[in-house]
Amino acid sequence: MDIAGQNLAIKSARDLGVVACTRCTKVWPAGTATCGRCGKALVARDEKSLQRVWALWLVGLMCYVPANMYPMLQTRTLLSVQEDTIVGGAVELMHHGAVGVAVIILIASVVIPLAKFMAIAFLAISVTRPSSVSNHHRQLLYEVVEYIGRWSMIDIFVVAIMSSLVQLNTLAAVNPGRASLFFALSVIFTMLSAQAFDSRMIWDVQAKQKGAPEE
Amino acid sequence: MSDAPPPVTIEPARKSFLGRASVVWIIPILALAMALGVAWQTYNDRGPLVEIVFENGAGIAKRETELRYRDIAVGVVEDVRFAEDLSGVVVAVRVDKEVAPYVDASSTFWVVRPELTTTGVSGLDTVLSGVYIEGSWDSEIGPKQNRFKGLVEAPLRSNGEEGLEIVLRTTPGGNLTDDSPITFRGIEVGRVGKARISQQGDFAIAEAIIFEPHSRLISPTTRFWDTSGFTFSVGPQGAEIDFSSVATLVAGGLTFDTFVSGGARVADGTVFEVFADEVAARNSLFIASEVEALEVRVVFDENISGLAVDAPVELSGLKIGKVQSISGVVDADEFGDSRVRLNAVLSIQPARLGLQGEVTPEAALAFLSTRIEEGLRARLASASLLTGGLKIELIQVDDAPDAVLLTGEGIIPIIPTTESVISDATATVEGVVTRINNLPVEELLNSAIRFLDSAEAFVSDEDLRETPQDVRALLGDVRDIVASDDVRDIPAKLNAALTRIEGLVAELEEQKVAARLVAALDAAEAAANGVTTSVEGVPALVDQIRAVAAKAEELPLEELATRLAALTSSAEKVLDTDAARRLPADLGAALKEIEATLSELREGGAIGNINATLDSTRKAADAVATSTQDLPALVDRVRAVLDQASATITGYNKGDVLSRDARAALRDISKAADAMTSLARMLERNPSALIRGR
Repeated sequence: MDIAGQNLAIKSARDLGVVACTRCTKVWPAGTATCGRCGKALVARDEKSLQRVWALWLVGLMCYVPANMYPMLQTRTLLSVQEDTIVGGAVELMHHGAVGVAVIILIASVVIPLAKFMAIAFLAISVTRPSSVSNHHRQLLYEVVEYIGRWSMIDIFVVAIMSSLVQLNTLAAVNPGRASLFFALSVIFTMLSAQAFDSRMIWDVQAKQKGAPEE
Repeated sequence: MSDAPPPVTIEPARKSFLGRASVVWIIPILALAMALGVAWQTYNDRGPLVEIVFENGAGIAKRETELRYRDIAVGVVEDVRFAEDLSGVVVAVRVDKEVAPYVDASSTFWVVRPELTTTGVSGLDTVLSGVYIEGSWDSEIGPKQNRFKGLVEAPLRSNGEEGLEIVLRTTPGGNLTDDSPITFRGIEVGRVGKARISQQGDFAIAEAIIFEPHSRLISPTTRFWDTSGFTFSVGPQGAEIDFSSVATLVAGGLTFDTFVSGGARVADGTVFEVFADEVAARNSLFIASEVEALEVRVVFDENISGLAVDAPVELSGLKIGKVQSISGVVDADEFGDSRVRLNAVLSIQPARLGLQGEVTPEAALAFLSTRIEEGLRARLASASLLTGGLKIELIQVDDAPDAVLLTGEGIIPIIPTTESVISDATATVEGVVTRINNLPVEELLNSAIRFLDSAEAFVSDEDLRETPQDVRALLGDVRDIVASDDVRDIPAKLNAALTRIEGLVAELEEQKVAARLVAALDAAEAAANGVTTSVEGVPALVDQIRAVAAKAEELPLEELATRLAALTSSAEKVLDTDAARRLPADLGAALKEIEATLSELREGGAIGNINATLDSTRKAADAVATSTQDLPALVDRVRAVLDQASATITGYNKGDVLSRDARAALRDISKAADAMTSLARMLERNPSALIRGR
């Protein structure tokens, strides 16, 4: 799919000698230290952005491991205590014939978080070295990741609601497993990681790519 | 002059690593440190893995089944797999670090499952929670061991239960119920563990535990016996069912008692025998413990109906064994023909033979062999007249033909037999029954029927029916007699006679005969120290009086009355008696006769006779009265005589001889006087006695 203007030389703000405030979007002449409107420090490019992305991404990934190893939900009935991990629960549901629910769970809790990790990693890498993916596609990917990230918390919401509703003393009780905390942390850190990414860098790479042959 | 410095390549100063690094890296480093820390702690807290080999893994689940010690979870099963040669199930248990050092070579493990037995329910909690592995180990740290053999059943002693561990062994032929309680006075004080059969197969053996503090009840003289089941006995007190408790009734149980006080405490592992009942247990104190029984055979040519398995084998009346089995045997080679003989295998208890020294079946066999050469023979004898049961007796036969105990390798020794002594109670009873059977019951019944027929005919006889009419006629006659004037006069006349007698008696009283007699006797007493010769008249007088009385007695008044009464009662009897019915015709005739007699009586003036008699009685009474009137005069005369005698006695007061005679005479007089006194008193009390003579 071609995006209109893909082949056009895109001029960045820096090329034009201005800098935009990332908070209130007001454009200032390059070299302005702080935004005169909202007081935010102005930088043309956040040089430490990638470091933050990677650091938070790493934490998110670290949290994702126990989130899948530990049980997400502890279901205690009169006779038994059942603890299910995310994948284990989904597999069990599939065995019971609830394939649809299992697929939803797998997509929401496994596919999307993993895709997010990969997407962020891809974006972070792609701004430092040449990439075959066009800037427009990468921008789109970034926006999707940002948007979809919050929805990963749906798992945590389900666990929270179940835990608060099903508390019938000894008869039956649902308690959040240890994985829920790690899963929440994982989601939070990936969201932070995605936010820390300075999407303007996508365009610098294009500039470099384009500039290199020129020089 | 100096060289120009070499050109220096100027590079832009790189920012230091720290300067370039973002603070945000602290977060992943922190997270990593925490993760590593948690991982290390988890690893560090992890206890060792022990492997327990069970026969099967029923109910054991990975990461669920717990290892418990004193009912607290101290570990969890991590893995369940087969042993290398599939000979069992290896359960890998991660033991908590705190207790891991105690899990040493002394540890035992078993699986607790819900169990429903006759004595109760155990492990009920495992129904819901699933089975768990119970571990038991002591509180001392011993040499480490990582592989254990799991027990099939919970051990008797677990988790610090104190108790005395003993071994129970059955007597030969006895049985033992495992997993049963040991009770003492109805309280469970111990348990029997799993029983097993001894290597020779001749007794069962089981470990048992007596819990503290009851182990002090056990001494070397303690005897155990079986209380399972129930006993039923019929005795003079009636039928009795006896069992100790429902639990032991169903599941069996043992109890014990120490019959001989004293005795030291026993050590763990002491072997005790279990007897069938209390009596056997008690007796065991006095007889040698039973050993393996000696088996011998007896082959009988004769009918052995009545001989049953367990029938006693007696030697001189002492039970030394029992019949173990009975079978038929055909052996033409051995006995010379192919008749069916009966072969009884006896089990003889060597201990009962009272052998000295070592009590073994071999010794008993040698003993029997010797005795058989001397003439010991086996025979059948009646054990019970009632049931016709038989027993086997070993008796000494003096003139027995030579025989030996047939022994040999691999065969059961055969004891020779002699003629049986069987009192055939059955035959006798049969004879009695036959005689009863032969009784002419039918003839008897026929006679009875005939008799009843006759009786019926008799009762329905016309004559008999007429009898009441005759009786009525007779009664009418009797009524006539009673209503006749003469009869009516009898009471009046009797009354008159009695009035006369009364008057006579009153007259007697008036004359105060008694008082005078007393006075006379007083006088006689006053003259007691005198003598007289003229008192002979007094007895004569008395005799006369007696004669008079006798005459009065002879008067036929009473007789007549008696006769009349007899006649009346005879008539009554005739009327009343059942026998009258027997001869209806005769009765009619007899009644007619009686009627005739009575008519005659009425016509013949019998009443007149009675009146005449009464009249003469009256005369006689008058005569008595007259003679009684003479009595005072007589008494006066007696007094005169006594006075005279008194004077005479005064004259001869001093004579000894005379005195002696006088005393004799006085005694006579005294007696006479006594007689007079009693006569007088009698007369006073009962004047009519003079008339009736008594």
